[in-house]
Amino acid sequence: MVPFVNTNEIKTTSYKVVLPFYIYAGFSFLAATIMLSTSASAFLQHYFHPHTLAITHMMALGWGTMIILGASHQLVPVLIEGRLYSEKLAYASFAFSATGIPFLIYSFYFFNMGWQARYGGELILLALLCYLVNLGISISKSKTENIYAIFVFTAAIWLLLAAALGLALIYNFTSPVFPKDSLHYLPLHAHLGIVGWFLLLVIGVGSRLIPMFLISKYSNTSLLWWTFLIVNSSLLIYLAFFLISFTGMLLLIPTSVLIFGIFLFAFYCYRSFKERIRRKVDLPMKVSLTSVIIMIIPLLLLLLLIIAYSLYSTGNHSNLVSAYGFVIFFGWITVIIFGMTFKTLPFISWNKVYHLRASSGKTPNPKDLFSSTLFKWMLLFYLTGFILFLSGIIFQLILPLNTGAFLLLLTAVFYNGNIFKIIFHKPESL
Amino acid sequence: MNVESNIPIKCTAALGTLEHVYDPEIGLSIVDLGLIYRIDFDESRKEVTCIMTLTTQHCPMGESIKENVEHALKGSFIDYSIRVDLTFDPPWNYERISESGKEYLKR
Repeated sequence: MVPFVNTNEIKTTSYKVVLPFYIYAGFSFLAATIMLSTSASAFLQHYFHPHTLAITHMMALGWGTMIILGASHQLVPVLIEGRLYSEKLAYASFAFSATGIPFLIYSFYFFNMGWQARYGGELILLALLCYLVNLGISISKSKTENIYAIFVFTAAIWLLLAAALGLALIYNFTSPVFPKDSLHYLPLHAHLGIVGWFLLLVIGVGSRLIPMFLISKYSNTSLLWWTFLIVNSSLLIYLAFFLISFTGMLLLIPTSVLIFGIFLFAFYCYRSFKERIRRKVDLPMKVSLTSVIIMIIPLLLLLLLIIAYSLYSTGNHSNLVSAYGFVIFFGWITVIIFGMTFKTLPFISWNKVYHLRASSGKTPNPKDLFSSTLFKWMLLFYLTGFILFLSGIIFQLILPLNTGAFLLLLTAVFYNGNIFKIIFHKPESL
Repeated sequence: MNVESNIPIKCTAALGTLEHVYDPEIGLSIVDLGLIYRIDFDESRKEVTCIMTLTTQHCPMGESIKENVEHALKGSFIDYSIRVDLTFDPPWNYERISESGKEYLKR
């Protein structure tokens, strides 16, 4: 007797849950680039500048985290081979984070660490709790245990820790929570978020989606387990070093472990690419794969920073710190979002519009739902703007900063134009 | 591609119909992808039963593909009731793609 599966068991998450996250993220990217254009000169000053903090959090939370939360609500069923536990919790997660983020950004921009910052941080923490509970129950109800779900769940725990530490740092501005000032804890807060949340999540989701979209025969669960253990070990070593105040060249130890973990993931992607059945790789997929290569840039900057601070501890390396943050949020994370948005969002919209028309043979492909010309122009503006702005930070020059910021603003306009084209796609008359 | 049936000649007609149901991401028909395992016909009850799979259990397109199979079969077998059962035993693998499908993907 062949075991059959009930249709309810293969139901995907409703597009109504997912789209608000994508729209919010698009607007956040636009807002971040507007702030970048009006505050480019802040990148000539110390990295702990209110406007730099506001832009960084807009990119990390409004852009990166919101789009990942939205996409993961859609992708969790694919990753865990089970249904999302609650769409209501997903809505709650959106409502809390969408309300909390503007409060937090406002507070950073005007450097007012009063009630707005605290409420903003608390709302975001609440949103992440909803997400973690939803994810945890979904995974516990799933019949199959798999490495992808473990990556995503662990990433969500690290994010919760990063957000909780961030909130404590906000309180630390007005009343002493920690023995030292908030600036001292900033690297820990940042790396819990960057490595714990973004990197683990990208590896977990990427290792599932990249072979799936490439139609690759490659599969290597043990390599993914090793990657998981190595990346988490690097973070735990860094955490221990931070707590016992090990600094200087010793930080090369967790960094080397991290580089090895990223190398394993890159190797996994390479093998998936080499063993693909589908020879033709579309542009969004090429962009997603490029983001794996781009990870080299922040890693090189991190090594440079460790060496610079070890050899010249009294020197001013603020431009390197700003460059490091910029290449992570405007580089690596932005590139992977560009790639994955135009792989996942057309599907969501296609399913909404052409749900019952695939047998007619006249429906467009999901990739036809966005303008590839707009997409290519967006990439051109982005690449030029990114290189100019990064040069401006490193060489401390205002002209490339302003020009780069304007091009990145154009990138955000083109990105939003294209996602709205997908979201509001109307069916062709058959 | 190996589709079993109790009435092979009618199965061929059904597969001809299902050639028009596409996986929109891959651009291949579900027949070439090898998603159809079995199609049976119960002449006394006027019922078509199709047993099929998906490339992955929670494929975002899964629900849509299943409904389109029902829709397509209903269009060709008007007097029959249509039942589509999903199974993941055995799970789909790349070897199930037809030779013409593999050629298409190599392009």
